[in-house]
Amino acid sequence: MKKFSLLSIIITAALLLSACAAPAPTAAPAETAAPETPATEAPVATEAPVATEAPVEEITLVVWDQFYRDVESQVMETLNAEFAAAHPGVKIERVVKTLDDLKVTLKLALSEEDGPDVAQVNQGRSDMGAMVEAGLLLPLNDFAATYNWSERFSASVASRNSFTEDGKTFGSGNLYGVSPTAEVVGVYYNKTLFEANGWAVPTTFDEFEALLATIKAAGVTPISFGSLDGWNAIHEFSAVQHLLVSLDYINNFVYGVNNVSFDTAENQEAARVMQDWVDKGYFTEGFPGIGYDDSNKTFKAGEGAMTITGSWLTGELLTDTDQEFGFFLLPGNPDQTRLAIGGVGVPFSIRKGTAHADLAAEYLDWMISPRAAELWAGVGMLPAMPMAEGAAVEVDPLFTDTMVAWNTINNENAVGHYIDWATPTFYDSIVAELQKLFGKMTDPAAFTAAVQVDYAAFLAGNQ
Amino acid sequence: MKIQQRWPGESRFKGWFYLLPGLAIYLVFIFFPILSTIRNSFYKWNGFSGTREFIQLDNYARLLGDAQFIKALTNNFIFIIFYSIIPILIGLMLASLLGRKPIRGMTFFRTGLFLPQILSMVVVGVTWRWIFNPTFGLLNTGLRAVGLDSLTRPWLGDFQMALPSVGAIGTWVMYGFCMVLFLAGMQRIPEDQYEAAQLDGAGGFRQFLHVTLPNLRAELGVALVTTVIAALRVFDLVYVTTRGGPGDSTLVTGFLVYRSAFQQNQLGYASAVATVMTILIFVISLVILRFQSRQEA
Amino acid sequence: MRRRTWQRQLPNYVILTLFLLIILIPIVGLVFSAFKTDAEVTKGPLALPSQLRLDAFKDAWTTGRFNFFFRNSVIVTVVVVIVSVLLSTLTGYAFALLPLPGRKFLYPLLLLGYMVPFEAVIIPLYHMMNQMDLTDTYWALILPQVGLSVSFGTLWMTSFFRAAPRELVDAAAIDGCNRWQLLWRILWPLARPAVLTLVVLTFMWTWNEFLLALVMVQKETMRTLPVGLAFFQGRYSANIPLMAAGSLIVAGPILLVYIIFQRYFIRGMLGGAVKG
Repeated sequence: MKKFSLLSIIITAALLLSACAAPAPTAAPAETAAPETPATEAPVATEAPVATEAPVEEITLVVWDQFYRDVESQVMETLNAEFAAAHPGVKIERVVKTLDDLKVTLKLALSEEDGPDVAQVNQGRSDMGAMVEAGLLLPLNDFAATYNWSERFSASVASRNSFTEDGKTFGSGNLYGVSPTAEVVGVYYNKTLFEANGWAVPTTFDEFEALLATIKAAGVTPISFGSLDGWNAIHEFSAVQHLLVSLDYINNFVYGVNNVSFDTAENQEAARVMQDWVDKGYFTEGFPGIGYDDSNKTFKAGEGAMTITGSWLTGELLTDTDQEFGFFLLPGNPDQTRLAIGGVGVPFSIRKGTAHADLAAEYLDWMISPRAAELWAGVGMLPAMPMAEGAAVEVDPLFTDTMVAWNTINNENAVGHYIDWATPTFYDSIVAELQKLFGKMTDPAAFTAAVQVDYAAFLAGNQ
Repeated sequence: MKIQQRWPGESRFKGWFYLLPGLAIYLVFIFFPILSTIRNSFYKWNGFSGTREFIQLDNYARLLGDAQFIKALTNNFIFIIFYSIIPILIGLMLASLLGRKPIRGMTFFRTGLFLPQILSMVVVGVTWRWIFNPTFGLLNTGLRAVGLDSLTRPWLGDFQMALPSVGAIGTWVMYGFCMVLFLAGMQRIPEDQYEAAQLDGAGGFRQFLHVTLPNLRAELGVALVTTVIAALRVFDLVYVTTRGGPGDSTLVTGFLVYRSAFQQNQLGYASAVATVMTILIFVISLVILRFQSRQEA
Repeated sequence: MRRRTWQRQLPNYVILTLFLLIILIPIVGLVFSAFKTDAEVTKGPLALPSQLRLDAFKDAWTTGRFNFFFRNSVIVTVVVVIVSVLLSTLTGYAFALLPLPGRKFLYPLLLLGYMVPFEAVIIPLYHMMNQMDLTDTYWALILPQVGLSVSFGTLWMTSFFRAAPRELVDAAAIDGCNRWQLLWRILWPLARPAVLTLVVLTFMWTWNEFLLALVMVQKETMRTLPVGLAFFQGRYSANIPLMAAGSLIVAGPILLVYIIFQRYFIRGMLGGAVKG
């Protein structure tokens, strides 16, 4: 596996993240960054968190996270060990959950007096919003000022982890969490297949659709996809939707402000594209009966030319496969808005009733430190915060692709949203409606109208 | 009833001493939470915040007008076909094939056919998801191998086939169980009843109809109650295989309760659904048991 | 003559074998998958593994922490089985043979635990357990499971005691046995098949219990096997051989118990049907 150091990109990323608005030259991609540069072991560029002086009482900090997969888990173990080492007397008690488990048990645990001090709380109304409303989470504004978190995160990123104190308004008010990782939804493609067939990475949506036709004609499945689990169908639809809608619209929609509707021409158009792709056989045969993981398994094994999903798949695509993969943003036509679904991963929050708020805040700060960024990049996950200058991490070209994509959308102020954050029931209703759409049980107009019923009911009840 | 009479000098409440330890644990850890659930069904509450709002019967009113609940309930009743009726029919057939007298390999068949009962539903669901996988699953590869390509489907994702597919898993789990029940019951049927029927000139099938079936009343009752309760309470299997999809074609009330309580923060509504289902299951079970014991008497 | 019997039974065997195969094929597929690599799995469940790999089992056992989970499952199951079988014996005895005012109303009350969809009950149960400071302890898993098992166990043992020969009970009374002695000296030895059945059923249900174990226990070191198994089935990745190996580790002990006790096991499923 080819691995090389990618200094310049990472530093650019750092610059971009701290100043999203200021256009900076996009980093020269891989080739110039140099396979020639030997992959030197970077000196540990960051200091461990400042050790507290004087012997302190024994404190156990209970932390719940959802980094349960092997490589991710090791990053957490390392970070926790280093934090504990720098804080004599502090012990970290780590509880690992899957995101599903976390959603079931965290609300209950946070409502108890002996709940976890720090926990990863999923964004959106059904999780973070409901917990804020119930008064379970500590506002982090003061800590953000103390630690200067605004230098690490853009306002757009912070608003994803913000709610007003009553939990009713999403996207503004207090900060309730900080995210260590970033995500961008785009297109993974099988480089091996692309090269063998002479296919080129498309730069407009028209080219993309033409490419789908070409691939189909060559007897290959253009888009590897499975909608059995439901949630990833949202990304399929929403990736196209993001090319058509404005940033204001998607912000308003997700944050539930300014009374926008789901029942719009743009959303109908995205729905129409989905059905068109179904009709033309661009998705894996039998996709309604295939789960997300199974679909990825076959994609990894070399079946299917592309798949539309989030950058979290990178690590998975780098192991146990003889295929080589790349990543690009779903391209838009010049007249389109060209947003991309993206954002930051599940944030760390502090339980309101914790007895160790200051220590917990210090822990949060450590979770989004340059050192953490470096470790996340090392395992192929996009860090949400900049790395230290001069830090060099060995990365794979595929990781570089996702990094470039993430930088691009930040650079162009084109970071969209996961639309299922919009209402507590939105996930369930849009998944059901999308399955109907993909199964040709409904048409685009009826689809957007049905989803709007859920959304309008929520807006009416949230006033 | 006479058998439960007091012995001379015995306390009227003798039985209570024996009942108390078990009953106490049941009351505290099962019955009390059930009462809380009924209470919660009159509230608007997310299940974890400190405040809850008393809304009387609103949750129940909402439930009656909830198309999803109606759909889920309908699916539960369709599941009775797959969980109860088909397995009982297959079970009866297999039991009568294995015969009243032990035949060679009986233990082997009995053991093998009962296996699905001991697997956890998570394992069953995961296994069947692989079988139904449209690309590499056993079902479609098998159909293709014998030239029946036209029958291949995305089973669990197909709007027509998803419910029968999940139902078929239930059948798979249940038919061996039913067979084993009937087999045990058949061994208690006195041989002379069959001999009498034979003398009357009854063939195999009429013997089955007039001797075997009436004698299996008790087992039929147990099989029916157990499988109907399983069909009305099904949750794990749907959770692991389809999560109610595609659309709402495999939505069941158990999943609706879970989704409302844990994902949508509507414990009050979830409790109302759970209460209605409990009453429904209770009534149906009593009807089946009453019907069975009346026949027996 | 012998030949004719055999011939006559042949169609029976064919049908039986067919239905047995329907049961066994998915299970065989599961077993095969446990020995494969992740890539081999996509070649179909019944394709033989290229070699007998034990990696998935090792992974599940160590990195999957199944060693921990296994211990927890054993502790919880053993306690639940012993306690609930003893308590069910007492309650069943009371319902069947003792003077018990309120019997008519207590019976359906106990049945209720069997019929309620547990997904909604679990949240008030959690809050209650937490107030009692019992979450994250074995008790949080044991006590509710004992409650549920006693609910079934009572029905089960009652039907056994009702079927006990009247003469035996009368004779014991004449011999001057008290109620306690009647139960343990005379009826308990007779109850062996019923008790063993209850043991196996309770074992099976406790061992496979999922939702309770998921919600009541948060510490990783306190989890039970089915929860540990679900842990493999996370949101973004699932490794089929690992899942299969994990499933087999979970199913293994029950399978063993099942084969050893299978006679009693099957009898147990008769439930109320055993009424004399």
